[in-house]
Amino acid sequence: MIIQIEPQSDVAIYKQITNQLIEGIARGHLRHGDSLPSVRAFAADLGVNMHTVNKSYHELEKRGIIKIVPKSGAVIEAQTKLLQGSPHAERIQHELKTVIAEALVLGMKTEQLEQELAMIMEDLKHNKQ
Amino acid sequence: MTVTIFLILYFFITLVEMAIPYLVKPTIVFGVSVPEKKMRDPRLLKFKRRYSLTVLATSLVLFIGLLVWGIQVNSTEETLILITTAAPFALLFVSLACYVYFHAKTTQLKREEKWGEGVKQLQITDLSVRSRDEMLPWYLFALPMLVTLGIIAYTIVHYQQLPNQIPTHWGPNGQPDAFTEKNPFSAISSPIMLFIMQVMFLVINETTKRSGIKLSATSTEASRVRQLTLRKYTSWFMFLTSILITMLFSFLQLMTVHENLLSEVMMLLIPFAFLLILLLGSIVFAVKVGKAGADNWVQSGDGVGDFDEDQYWKGGLFYFNKNDPSIFVEKRFGVGWTLNFANPIGYFITFGPILLILIVTYFT
Repeated sequence: MIIQIEPQSDVAIYKQITNQLIEGIARGHLRHGDSLPSVRAFAADLGVNMHTVNKSYHELEKRGIIKIVPKSGAVIEAQTKLLQGSPHAERIQHELKTVIAEALVLGMKTEQLEQELAMIMEDLKHNKQ
Repeated sequence: MTVTIFLILYFFITLVEMAIPYLVKPTIVFGVSVPEKKMRDPRLLKFKRRYSLTVLATSLVLFIGLLVWGIQVNSTEETLILITTAAPFALLFVSLACYVYFHAKTTQLKREEKWGEGVKQLQITDLSVRSRDEMLPWYLFALPMLVTLGIIAYTIVHYQQLPNQIPTHWGPNGQPDAFTEKNPFSAISSPIMLFIMQVMFLVINETTKRSGIKLSATSTEASRVRQLTLRKYTSWFMFLTSILITMLFSFLQLMTVHENLLSEVMMLLIPFAFLLILLLGSIVFAVKVGKAGADNWVQSGDGVGDFDEDQYWKGGLFYFNKNDPSIFVEKRFGVGWTLNFANPIGYFITFGPILLILIVTYFT
């Protein structure tokens, strides 16, 4: 799986890495049980600071997406159903709310939003790119 | 013999220096990164041609000068050695001066025509690239060390048999020409130096393995092939070198223990074969790496380009990047590796063994 960052972007580099890894898992490029490269190898290959990669891994761990196992590195967690009311579900709801609120403020209609959601789901599930 | 070795080395250097601009990554011209669209710019091609021709012309002029001088003056052995050492250095110096000139010219061209400005710069990696890395495992590099330990043990067992004067240097005729007093340390000092070098090769192999596999955002496949080829053949070449020095040092040590083990002809031929194999090996290495992925560099990449790393390359030769945890990176001018000078561990790995060998020499 290709990770591509834009160093001059407004989005912090660790955030770009986190987002791409999440998307890679959603698309099935990475599966549960797969391990991510070591922080040193990842940083060296990408040409970024080790702290940046480390920060991204910790963010992913905090979100319950990977597990950092001493000695064997970062492993992608197996996901079961996300229970209503769990901290992760609450966080997603909260983040969705912010985005939807902004969409409404900018004049997006409910149908448009639903259409958008369907398209994104379709893309993530079937488009391997 | 001195003259033959000189001639081989001299023409080897000429050939390598002339070939360098054509063996480096096509997107790096005289240490300056250029966009794929400009890598076949006629002016850049002219710079490369002029560089190679200047090196060739200098080499020939120097060589003819030496010939004429050699015929007129009845040179002694000492001046011969001096000249044969100085000439390759003079050639390297002229090549470097020439590089500096064309580095400046290329930098100027890039700045004036604003190459690579206004494109979105990207850095890229492939999470699966490491699974295709073919560098040799560390334990292969540990194998020759066993030979060294065996040689040390053998020397200790045959200590009584050793001559009172231990040879420490061998002349171009293959015969020892410098000696030191026999004592338990001087008897095994050369296998110890061998061991230091073997450790050095193992450590360099491991640190190279941990250094970054740098991919290009626009020519991902070409850069992947080149990086993986460079890593694989570096590892093989270092292993070959480690085996060869082990053989050479073991021969010399056995010769010290059993004085008439090999004939004079063999003593002359073994170091010569050693040199020849290494030179041939480095030519194969340079050509393999230079050709790897060379045809796959794409010329598109509109609106996007690789992150411009020129800021980290002082003079296009010295790499200083605090953020990069790599200890070694691919050279910009030449085939092989250079240090990330911002990483102090690199200094240890390169200068540590040299220092240790000097210490061993001092106490012998």
